[in-house]
Amino acid sequence: MMELIGVPPALLMGQLLIGLINGSFYAMLSLGVAIIFGMLRIGNFVHGAQYMMGAFGAWYLVNLPDLFPSLGLPSLGYFWALILVPLAVGAIGALMEWIFIRRVYHLEHAYGLLLTVGLAMVIEGLFNVRYGAAGQQYGVPEFFKGGTNLGFMFLPYYRAWVIVVAIAVCFGTWFLIERTKLGAYLRAATENPDLVRAFGINVPRMLMLTYAFGVGLAGFAGVMAAPIYQVGPQMGQNIIIIIFAVVVIGGIGSIFGAIISGLMLGVIEGLTKVFWPEASSTVIFVIMAIVLVFRPAGLFGKETTAHAVTDLSSGRSGSFLENGRIWFFILAAIGVVLPFTVYPIFAMKILCLALFALAYNLVFGYVGLLAFGHAAFYGTSAYVTAHAAAVWGLPPELCLLLGVVAATAIGALFGALAIRRQGLYFAMITLALAQIVYFYVIQAPWTHGEDGIQNVPRGMLFGLIDLRNSMNMYFVTLVVFLAGFAFVYRIINSPFGQTLKSVRENEPRAISLGYSTNQFKLIAFTLSAMLSGVAGGVKAIVFQIASISDVFFMTSADALLMTLIGGVGTLLGPVVGAAIVVTLQNKLAYFGAWVVVMQGAIFVLCVLFLRKGVVGTLQEFLANREARKRVATEAPAKAETKVAQ
Amino acid sequence: MNTVPEDYIIEAQGLSKHFHGFAAVQDVNLKIRRHSIHALIGPNGAGKTTVFNLLTKFLQPTAGTIRFNGRDITNVKPAEIARQGLVRSFQISAVFPRMTVRENVRIALQRKLGTAYHFWKSVSTLSVLDDRVDELLDSVGLRSFADYSAAELPYGRKRVLELATTLALEPEMLLLDEPTSGLGHEDVDRVAALIRKVSANRTVLMVEHNLSVVSSLSDRITVLAAGRILAEGNYETVSRDPRVIEAYIGGTDDE
Repeated sequence: MMELIGVPPALLMGQLLIGLINGSFYAMLSLGVAIIFGMLRIGNFVHGAQYMMGAFGAWYLVNLPDLFPSLGLPSLGYFWALILVPLAVGAIGALMEWIFIRRVYHLEHAYGLLLTVGLAMVIEGLFNVRYGAAGQQYGVPEFFKGGTNLGFMFLPYYRAWVIVVAIAVCFGTWFLIERTKLGAYLRAATENPDLVRAFGINVPRMLMLTYAFGVGLAGFAGVMAAPIYQVGPQMGQNIIIIIFAVVVIGGIGSIFGAIISGLMLGVIEGLTKVFWPEASSTVIFVIMAIVLVFRPAGLFGKETTAHAVTDLSSGRSGSFLENGRIWFFILAAIGVVLPFTVYPIFAMKILCLALFALAYNLVFGYVGLLAFGHAAFYGTSAYVTAHAAAVWGLPPELCLLLGVVAATAIGALFGALAIRRQGLYFAMITLALAQIVYFYVIQAPWTHGEDGIQNVPRGMLFGLIDLRNSMNMYFVTLVVFLAGFAFVYRIINSPFGQTLKSVRENEPRAISLGYSTNQFKLIAFTLSAMLSGVAGGVKAIVFQIASISDVFFMTSADALLMTLIGGVGTLLGPVVGAAIVVTLQNKLAYFGAWVVVMQGAIFVLCVLFLRKGVVGTLQEFLANREARKRVATEAPAKAETKVAQ
Repeated sequence: MNTVPEDYIIEAQGLSKHFHGFAAVQDVNLKIRRHSIHALIGPNGAGKTTVFNLLTKFLQPTAGTIRFNGRDITNVKPAEIARQGLVRSFQISAVFPRMTVRENVRIALQRKLGTAYHFWKSVSTLSVLDDRVDELLDSVGLRSFADYSAAELPYGRKRVLELATTLALEPEMLLLDEPTSGLGHEDVDRVAALIRKVSANRTVLMVEHNLSVVSSLSDRITVLAAGRILAEGNYETVSRDPRVIEAYIGGTDDE
């Protein structure tokens, strides 16, 4: 047979087939995500975990006799799973909607994403606790054993089945939603729930069923995936980020776009494996970036004219808790005492992460953009700093500088791409862009893959201060932290900060006053990346290691969690949040795999019950007390002004 | 064809906007005379706000050109339009709710200070604007509310604050989107008087439902219906036009 561009056709066809298979899963999963997002405005991050539950469901059914030996249950095979599991997973989805999701419909979209991130951590964490990271085997069903030789390649029957079924399911769903009366009701219910309610339709139940349907699709995809991929707790974790990228590429609210993009991107990924294997895990994210430049609304998306960031901040400008001039000295005093009460290394961890969270809060709290990829900046700086110290043998101040420059450059680039979109899309885009860095770090030789860069020398700061001494190291870290704190305080209390505030409060109005709001967002984003870089670089020197977890999306989730617990858009929130999260992680370390579960649970609880965070809630309490006092003393005066109006 | 040179500040030619096949605005030719108050009226869904969004570039027209002071601004970004002196208000009062009244006005002033991007400077450097802010607040009667947060103001005062903020930019032309909607009688009169006051040496284009405000303020009226211009002229001409009467009576009944 002829070779195509130096590639044997069997290999090419083989990868095309794998691409088409992967694409089938991307299509089925992004379809579910697009439906849930389009109808419910929920960025269903837990979709990957629900897909994973589907695969485990199939595995449970086959192993019923072993799992419950006393009940004498039969082993139920693949076809039973194909019917029962989607129903079961869908039912679990309905339950999740009833308990959790419906509580955030009326809130900013960001909370839906945060909630589902927490739920995903809980579910995946629980499976991890029970089954460990290793996968379970699920054989190809008897009926589909074997395959056929097409002449140029061998086609296993099961794979052909997956592609056919996936396409049928996708287009069936598309037809249901876009072309039937039921779908019309559904679309109407999301456009104008009150009106549809007036028709006598039970809107909450309709939304619940929609969510259950989307989740059921994930469960269905999970069953389909079981014979092909390893059934493991992590199987949904990476795919969900790809799915988000697919949805962005496909376009806003476009179910059709999600399906086509899913299939197409699977094939492109497969082809990349043939021609440039190293790039295959990032190609989808790179395509997303390119699409964003040329078609910000996505390939099949509709024009967007929304100019609105979301204001989730809970800071009150008058509160003394926002007075950085006082708190700078209080924090400095606490910082001086801290290493004598706890281990310096523990204190340094708090400082590094507090600085990271401060940086993150600049974007999330003060610009109102839900960024979900700050690990890229933190981790890039950690790696560059570590490399400069370990390999080039540069002094620590220079290493840190290089790290920060790298993080700032990547921040400016990612920011320029991502600020084209707001809300949930911003989160999905930053998440996907950060995955490029993650996969690069996994593959590049200088980052040493899973090992990371170890034994980073701390060296002599400015040739004077020996950082190998842990007290020296601590106080240098403290100084950097305080400088970062002061810098953030200055940014939010500068003319720039004022403009930023106006953008957050009412972006269209800020534009109509002549401000090019995207430029303000970009500068704030870049500053945030820079400070994240400072945090990551210092961390690499303190802990003498840059590891793969520094660029992993869980690190981005950590920054989010710290900011959320402490209080979004408050000055002290990130610091308080970092102290709480680091302390919890330390205390929970004893429980091993349970840490993720508990972190996820905290996420969920924060979204449901503590949206203002610790500091924001405290500020609200103080402000209310103040107001009560004022009312008590000014009540007569106020009544008069009311009359005057 | 009329060849007498008229001084138009805005000239929109063949303006159209389609949303997925639905023509919200179709082939609208609109000329606004300098230093006039021009009202844009029409039944609900006539495309008034869409025209507004097109003129201020919050929407990109599907077809047509827009000239402002003779310059083609069809492809200019909305923030740039504002910097050129064409400033709009919004249908729903557009204030910065958690900033004080003073800060609201100051935001508009601080752009010209040239330090909007200065993240390293203290916010206290903006105090040089305080006198001008107070002057503006005085002129609209909001001085005594200066330290309230904008959210605390009653609705009518919010609209006044919005006007004060807009005026702070010293715009050449104002586009007011339903400036009196949702206001009580007293507030309507106050805002109408304010509009008349600020229209000196300025051009005002407003979308307005309150026909008594329209009749008392505007020099010229354009009536839109179903995305097209139905009639144009002064209040007497327009109000006697049978097509206009039909559009209003046969249209929605919310007037």
